Parts: sequence; C-alpha cells; structure tokens
Amino acid sequence: MANPKSDEMGGSISFTDFPEDVQLCILSFLTPSEVSTFACTSKRFVSLCRNDAKLWFTMCHRRWGSKTQIRKWGNGKIAFRLLYKTLNEWENLIGFWRRSGRGNIGISSPPLVFFEWGPSFLTGSRISPSKNGTYSVLKSPFLWMTLSQEGQTVNFLDPDGRAEVLDCVGEMDFSDNDLIPVNLSFMGKTHFVVEENMNFFAFSSSNSNSSSNFRRSSSSSNMRCDDEIEDSIGGDSGSFSPSHSPGSLPERLMSEMYQHFANRTSPGSGDKRRQRRKEKERQGKRKWEAEHFVKIVNCSPTLTRPLQGLWKGIYDDMSLNFYLVVYEDNGGIICRRVGDSSERFSSYGLVFWTSNATFIESPLSPEEKYLYDSRMHVRPLAAENYIHEELLSEETEMVSRILNINSSYDLVIPDLAGSTTNPRNVEGRIWQYISGTFGFGFLRDNFIIDLKHVSQNGCVLDTKELCSD
Amino acid sequence: MASSSTSVVVSNKEKENKNTKKVTLKSSDGESFEVDESVAMESQTIKHIIEDGCANNEIPLPNVTSGILSRVIEYCKKHKEAAGESEPSVTSYTSNSTTNPLTEWDTEFVKVDQNTLFDLILAANYLDIKGLLDLTCKTVADMMKGKTPQEIRETFHIKNDYTPEEEAEVRKENQWAFE
Repeated sequence: MANPKSDEMGGSISFTDFPEDVQLCILSFLTPSEVSTFACTSKRFVSLCRNDAKLWFTMCHRRWGSKTQIRKWGNGKIAFRLLYKTLNEWENLIGFWRRSGRGNIGISSPPLVFFEWGPSFLTGSRISPSKNGTYSVLKSPFLWMTLSQEGQTVNFLDPDGRAEVLDCVGEMDFSDNDLIPVNLSFMGKTHFVVEENMNFFAFSSSNSNSSSNFRRSSSSSNMRCDDEIEDSIGGDSGSFSPSHSPGSLPERLMSEMYQHFANRTSPGSGDKRRQRRKEKERQGKRKWEAEHFVKIVNCSPTLTRPLQGLWKGIYDDMSLNFYLVVYEDNGGIICRRVGDSSERFSSYGLVFWTSNATFIESPLSPEEKYLYDSRMHVRPLAAENYIHEELLSEETEMVSRILNINSSYDLVIPDLAGSTTNPRNVEGRIWQYISGTFGFGFLRDNFIIDLKHVSQNGCVLDTKELCSD
Repeated sequence: MASSSTSVVVSNKEKENKNTKKVTLKSSDGESFEVDESVAMESQTIKHIIEDGCANNEIPLPNVTSGILSRVIEYCKKHKEAAGESEPSVTSYTSNSTTNPLTEWDTEFVKVDQNTLFDLILAANYLDIKGLLDLTCKTVADMMKGKTPQEIRETFHIKNDYTPEEEAEVRKENQWAFE
C-alpha cells in the first residue's frame, strides 16, 4: 500500500510509487487526449489508460453522473470509453434548437425542440405554445437517442408526438408502430440533420457479425451516410427487410422507449396508420424527410444581457408564441418570432430591434410614467389566469428601467402611400420589470405585450402534456 | 496544528462540544495529535478502527509523518466545520466548485511542494479520506495538463521505456482510440 519516502534515492516519490487506484484517480481528472498523452510516457501505463471499468467509468461519472445514470446506458454492457465519446458529442444537444428550413409536410414538425437527459438516453421534445389561452407550453416526444448494448447508436423519431401504448410488451414488432429510426448527423456544434435511417433493420440483423467494426466507425464519427454503413457491414443492399425486424432490438430497449414516449392512446386510427405504414415500408418509401436544426445558443438572460433568450407571449394574432431576443456583436438587440409550423417558411419575423442596448433607469420621467400607466397589458385570456390572484401580479409590476426600440415597420420605404414618416409609428419601448421579465409596446398603440421565460435553470416552465381528446 | 483562523470557529462551538469524545492520533515519528472524534472520523480508516473498538483512545498511524498528519487534520477540521454549518459539504470536484465556499481554501491548501503533495495523496489514500484524495489527485492531474509526454516524464520522474519508433506508434494508435 503506502510506500515509505525514499529520501536517500533522489528525494522524490514517483508517479509509479502510487497504488494503482490512486493512479487511476489522478488520470480520471484528465480529458481523453490528455490520457492518451500520458499513455505515451511509458509502456507500463498503456493498460492503465485503457482501464475501462475504473478509469473510463470514473471519467464518465465525473462529467455526467449527476445528469444521467452512467451504468444504465447500453444495459451496462458497453465500454465506458465508447460511452464517453458518445456523451461528449451528444452533450452538445442539451438545450433548445429551432428547425431551419422546411419541415415535413402534413406531419406536425416542431419549430422548437428541447433536448434533455434521461436515465439512459437523451430525449428531444417538441415545445409548442398551448392553445388554451394560458402561458403554458406543450411538450411532446420527438426524438429518443441511446446506445444498444452492442454499442450501436439507436435513435428514434416520433413523427406525430403521440406514440401508441403497446398492450403486450412481448410483441415488439417495430414495424407495427409509429416510431421511425433516424440518423443524427452533426455539422459543427450548432447544426444537425435528422434523416430517416432506411437501413436500420438490415443493419441490426447483421450486427452480431460486425459489431466490432461498427463500434470502431461509430466511435470515430457520427457523420454517416447510408453508403458507409453498407460498406462496413460487407455490402448489404440498401433495401429494407422488415422480416428481420422482430426481436432485432432487445425488448428492454424497446420497452424503455415506449415507457418514455407512450402515456396516451390514439384509439381507432392506429390500424389505418399501421396499414399505410406497412405499405410504405414494402415500397421502401421514406416516412420522414430530412430536417435541419440549428442551436439556439443563448437561450437565457444573463446579468449583462438581461433581455437575451427565449420568451413567450401574445403578439399580433392573439395566440401564444415564442420569441428569441439576440444581442448582436455591434451592441444592438433584435427580437424575432420563432417559427410556427403552419406557416409556409420557418418564419423568422422581426418583432423589434434597437441599436442601443443601454437602459434608462428608474425613476422615470413623468412622460414615460404616463406612457406606461396608460397602457393595457396583453396577456393570455384564459380564466385559469384569474383563479389565483397572484398570477395577476403584472398589473402592479414595478418597472425597473426602460429601453427605446423600433419595430419592423421601420424598414418600410417612407414614400409609399404618401404617408408621413411619423417616427411615432415605429418607435416603442421595452419596460423591464423587477422580476426580470419584460414587456414591450409601440407608440402607435397603447398595448404592452408581457413576455415570460420559456425556461429557467435548464427546465422548461409551465409544461402541459398533450391530451388525446 | 490548528491554525488561528480555525480556532476562532471552533471556540464558538466549544460550548456545544465540551463533552465530545476525543481521540489521539500518533504519527510515524512519535508525535501525538488530539482531535475530536468526529473530525477524525472523516477518515474511513480511522472510523473503522474506532467502531471496531480497537482505538483505546490512541491510534498509531505508522504510515503518516507528523508534518503530513497535521495538514490532514487541518483539512478534516475545516471540512467538518463546513459540513456542520450548512448543507453537507460538497466534496466532489465536478461542476459546482464555483459555488462551493471551500474552493478557495482548498486551492490554497494544495499550494505545496510536490513531495508534500504526493505524501498527502498517500496519506489520504491510506486514511481513506475521499475529499482529500480527490483534491490532491486533481491537483496532480492539473500538473499534467498541457504538457508533452517528455515534460510529464520530467515532472513525475517517469522512465521512458519506448524507442522513438514505438512512441510514435503508440501516439498514432492513441490518436485514433482517444479522439
């Protein structure tokens, strides 16, 4: 165990004098590349650096142990070195992403997706505004990502956000349900593409023959097109073989996934959907077109950027929507609406902007006070808001400071329609409340749109489950 | 022994702790240290000795010199007090070190020469004090960051048993495996 100090022999304890557990403890604080550098120092450390059960487990646990259950991933059977690599890449997904470009037509494609940790998987949920007249948002399943016990990346997409409950856990015939296997390809840290994995079944049936090959390639890169997969499993054809599917995914994995996705039933329509799907599968048709997502990098306010991030409120069409406030490098602020899937393009409409982010602190001048007091707050109208009087605290919300802003109409050419370019048409204010939220409005009317946080401390606020009725 | 800063805090609690059990720890060079039993039990090794009833109020620690033992006791006292004052002390060195009030103290604590640091590691390992072991190991790991293999060898007196060809091979292999 502990070695006596060798003061006669040059006076220092060497790293090699430490017991192995201590050496592993030291190495567990390093990054993988630093561990690899250490392995280059001496032959005797190579096996130490590859110690999966202790070293790589501890490295995973240090980084993500508080967020997910390290030992549950891959049913506890995968190498922790592989898990580290995977989690290191997937960790970047945590947070909010918005769809960029067109979504799948006819299927509810989420403009806003929120990724969070599960016990042995990652989930992405659609976040959409509720239509019930409150500030609450709907959270429904979209993506599910994990590793199988062979170390294979397993990603599924729920196109409708309404997964069916499976009556019998034993009948895990994948093709009978709505979930679509997908590949997630990263393009840098703020962009990924989700596309249907047409080779999933053919691939998983040959998995046992080539698991080691696959593990190598999956661990080196997640940028994968279908052709590469075919090459690595010895030239399988690109066609779809549903006959291989039953039992190809371990039951435990499927049941976990369903437990996560499914807590509602879709009565009746399930059979028709199944028939359509089977038909499509036989034809090898895609159920899902590739979609791109871009990360919303700064989704929460900070001390120096108090308006930054994702907000929700009522504007224009009297329904709840999401807004993104971005601080630009030149010191300006822009607020845009985050797209709604019912619109033709992923709408990115300008709501307000300013080139000067300096607030005017209270106490406000009498003119400004009047400007605020004479306004009507625009808020969701549902009766639920009024059940508990505390929810109406905005009525008496103290304004801590204001900001001058302009609306999008500023970009309209002044000569049109012979209208005078009255600056009051475009000028407006932001009123920041002591609570940290804010409201905005324009001089052309007397409303204030009060915005609230979409998330706080990494959790989405005011969520509601989708109801099947 | 106890520094003047810790004794101020201890005295506030003395009224409550007047009758707490004390144990005596004896270093390898024969020096005795009397500490509160609760502080000594930060060490799982000592905790088991006490619980097994083998203590006799004096516990010999032949693997730890007096210089190191006094530092270890200082660490245990500080962390025990912090645990007593608020929520259980966060002695994990993962993400919350900035919110941990002891972080600054810990950083100062490990500003010692390499020999002392290594001795602290061995003592923390022998005495099974997780927080101290993590702290000291992390400090050693930080000394490795940003160094080339040769620089690491020099810092930690590791003998190079690779030929240049072998080393290049290992480096190449590891680039793939670890990146």
